Amino acid sequence: MLASSVQRSKPTPYPSKARSALIRRTVVAVLVVVALALITISFRSPTSGALHDVQGLGATVLRPFQVAATRIAQPFRDGYDYLSSISSAKSENRRLKHELTELRSEVIANAALAAKAQQLEKLLHFEQGRTFPRDYRAINAGVISFPSGPFTHSIVIDRGSSDGVRTDSPVTSGDGLVGIVSNVDSHTALVTLLTDPDFFVEARDYHTGVRGGLKPGPGGTLQLTEVPKQKVVHNGDVLVTDGTRNARYPDLYPYGIPIGRVTSFSALDTATFLQVQVQPFANLGSLDAVAVLVPKNPRR
Amino acid sequence: MTLSDGVKAAALLFAAAIAQVSVFSQLQVLGAVPDVLLVSLVGIALLRGSVAGAVGGFFAGLIVDTASLGTMGLTSLVLTVAGYWIGRYGETTGRDRAHAPFLSIAVVTVLYQLGLLVMHFVLGESAPGGAVVRSLVPAILLNLVLTAPLYALVRRLLRPPEREELTAEVQLLG
Repeated sequence: MLASSVQRSKPTPYPSKARSALIRRTVVAVLVVVALALITISFRSPTSGALHDVQGLGATVLRPFQVAATRIAQPFRDGYDYLSSISSAKSENRRLKHELTELRSEVIANAALAAKAQQLEKLLHFEQGRTFPRDYRAINAGVISFPSGPFTHSIVIDRGSSDGVRTDSPVTSGDGLVGIVSNVDSHTALVTLLTDPDFFVEARDYHTGVRGGLKPGPGGTLQLTEVPKQKVVHNGDVLVTDGTRNARYPDLYPYGIPIGRVTSFSALDTATFLQVQVQPFANLGSLDAVAVLVPKNPRR
Repeated sequence: MTLSDGVKAAALLFAAAIAQVSVFSQLQVLGAVPDVLLVSLVGIALLRGSVAGAVGGFFAGLIVDTASLGTMGLTSLVLTVAGYWIGRYGETTGRDRAHAPFLSIAVVTVLYQLGLLVMHFVLGESAPGGAVVRSLVPAILLNLVLTAPLYALVRRLLRPPEREELTAEVQLLG
């Protein structure tokens, strides 16, 4: 019994396996040939011919199924589109924020460059203008350090003795007088601003010829001192440096550098001199570029 | 393959082809389109063999070409070869292996895309090779996601055949 074999019930044969390899290959070969024939016909006459008509008819027949499939899928597609739009909106929001940050930086940088360009343009205009002192040459310098507080009235420029800058050289911006070089290093120089308490310059009213000494006043303004009460000044008069009056005592500042404009004046009964307030032309809080005026023929 | 199986397979492929042309072809994810027709065909070919795969691929391709008004026979040719190849894999080594559908999908997705690319190139039509290659990985992933549910559906519709490889006789020892 044990040695004998037991016949099992014959299972349903696997269909493809049951067919011969020849039949299988024949079927596939026929299908491939038919497909190639269809491709050839369709490719040779894509817009006309029997196959085109059959295709059109087939497409017409399939159209309702396609419409039905589209309608069935529409709610799902809407949901997908909604989620997709939310996702894309979030990513777009991130991208736009990033762009906005970059553009803001760019705008600020451009504005700063524009302001600097404006100052450089004014400086160039001053250096090429008629008011530029003839016996002097300009050494253009960039400002590398600004007043750090209310007690500091100086700036540091990026030109020094190696560039020809000397102590007591007047410094101007494109608008007007800025100050005077008070200390010089080989590649940098310290400029004392005209708002420094120790600053003093002889000035002249460009319109009336009234002379006086200009000293720092309250609130960043200047005061023209030692102007007799009988002299006449007007609001809006332009003050320039007075320059050297006596060759034996040459002034540090050449004649004609614009300093500021008279904003107010008063004559007290008890005072001997007029009190004249002057607003400097140079904006000392935002200096980017200045020019150091150096004599073409140094006296010392 | 019984008549009932044939009807079920035809209905499934027809529905898959229509869905593919009408719905899924517009569903682009990472530059790739999920292919329910290919996944369904792979399921049928794995379960019913190479002839069923080839015939199913041919007619499903015809439906796609007809509905999309494309070059007739082009999709048919590629799907015929794909169905036949997957069917042979199922008849020989792939049957009853759990990873067979996933492996088949991964491979056939690449071959199907490249096959279509070659065919379009041969016919002088637009064949953006770079775009096709870039979309291969997303396409494989999308089709792999579809494989589990669709293969389960196909398996439910077409019950797996009896294992013919089992020995018809049992030699009792002793």
